[in-house]
Amino acid sequence: MNWLRVFFVGGLTSYRALFNWISPWVFFPVLIVYPLFQTLFFAYLGRFADVQSDEFFLVGNTFVAIAVTGFFGMGNAVANERRSQTLAPVLATPASRLALFLGRTLPSIATGFLVAAVSFGLGALILGVDVGGAELARLAVAVVVCSFACTAFGLCLGALGLRGRNVSLFADTISGCLLLASGANVPLERLPDWLRTLGSAVPLMHGIAASRKLAAGETLGDAGHLLLVEAAIGSIYLVLGLVLLRFFEHEGRRTATLETF
Amino acid sequence: MTRAFFSGMRIHVKQFTVNAFDLSAVVLWPILYASIAYYLLDGKNDPELLLSASLGAAVMTMWALVVLGSSGALENQRWLGTLELLVAAPMPFAVALAPITIASGVVGAYSLVATLAWGALLFDVPLSIESPLAFAVAVPMSALAIGMLGLMTAATFVIYRAAFHLGVAMQYPVWIATGLLVPLSVLPAWVGPISWFLAPTWGFRAIRDAALGGPAWTDMGMCALLTVVYFAVAAVCLRVFENFARARATLRLT
Repeated sequence: MNWLRVFFVGGLTSYRALFNWISPWVFFPVLIVYPLFQTLFFAYLGRFADVQSDEFFLVGNTFVAIAVTGFFGMGNAVANERRSQTLAPVLATPASRLALFLGRTLPSIATGFLVAAVSFGLGALILGVDVGGAELARLAVAVVVCSFACTAFGLCLGALGLRGRNVSLFADTISGCLLLASGANVPLERLPDWLRTLGSAVPLMHGIAASRKLAAGETLGDAGHLLLVEAAIGSIYLVLGLVLLRFFEHEGRRTATLETF
Repeated sequence: MTRAFFSGMRIHVKQFTVNAFDLSAVVLWPILYASIAYYLLDGKNDPELLLSASLGAAVMTMWALVVLGSSGALENQRWLGTLELLVAAPMPFAVALAPITIASGVVGAYSLVATLAWGALLFDVPLSIESPLAFAVAVPMSALAIGMLGLMTAATFVIYRAAFHLGVAMQYPVWIATGLLVPLSVLPAWVGPISWFLAPTWGFRAIRDAALGGPAWTDMGMCALLTVVYFAVAAVCLRVFENFARARATLRLT
């Protein structure tokens, strides 16, 4: 019972507090305004360059918004314990680490879904992109898979925060690279091979490719293999994140660096 | 006051140039945006367009650093508990804040080197500057004007608890409205008049016209005019919002 309480109640409270949006007005600029204008920026750039359609950029940037939510949200939900000077007390508790940290992933996945839904909806409205109800339902599945994968990757970043000082630097750098390497804004066939290979090793590229197929009317059966790859990548990062958390907690205790900046 | 301003400039330029987050922003982000533009615009086969995209990406970074620098600095000072001390200091708060925003713009100018080098090395973007003198003046003029726009927006950040988040959200709207990578002709007509009031529009035009040939000095005149206007508005806004924050006792809230 206590495990579940730590997982659900503790997870939600920690996520909201450490991602710094106890108040929804803090949430609004970063998770609604930023992704919406990012979508518009690249859609207009695409129009100017005569490359792809608005739908291409709308889908791509909706998924980048999920990545930003997962990387920063989950990363900060672990790493900000150090900044708020609560890391040592949290790690001194007898609570299960699995419940403690995995509990923060659920709100992150839910936030990713919400951000994707809002930015896709508003973006579609402004750009005049029309996507049918059946396609939207299939896209929702892709969004959940991508949110999971990005949150799992964010857990790895958060684990680095038990050792490093600035998780935002990693999250910012990787999410920036994904703007280019994930195929969100540049068609994959225009990218060099090494960049495509790099992009395929982190979440997003397969999720975006699947979503474009789903938005174009293909079924989950047609795009399912891409979503399975995305889920597999997410699972690998989830396991890696949990291992890293264990490792860095141990190292932090051994070298007494949990509270250093 | 002059000593406080220049000391602040020196300290913040030093801080920004040793901060990994800012350095990555200076080097990585303009390269990323320029690369996306190169890959998308490559089909147009226009070297001048690619050079213009490089310069646009650099000015985008200038604005990003200014708005993130000013909002992040305010939030950091809240967390460190020094915001109240700065506000309570006998010099005007604008003098403490202006060095942060201008230093961000100055450091952002480094990104010009990054994008131009990247474009030349990987995408064969030509590096010819039509008017080197105008270019050398346009870059600091743009940094100053964009820094002052940052000062004006920072005035509102004083009353906002999570200033950095607001700073993050303000990047793309300004990038769009100032036509840095996407020409204003592609955007709805009502965006055009908004762009006239934003320093990155004129800063970018000045740098681009100096590089490609055009009325760079007129654009720099607009930068100078906007710098003065921004400073006047910022000084008033800072006074009003500072009093507002003092009255509500919110300066310390994180």
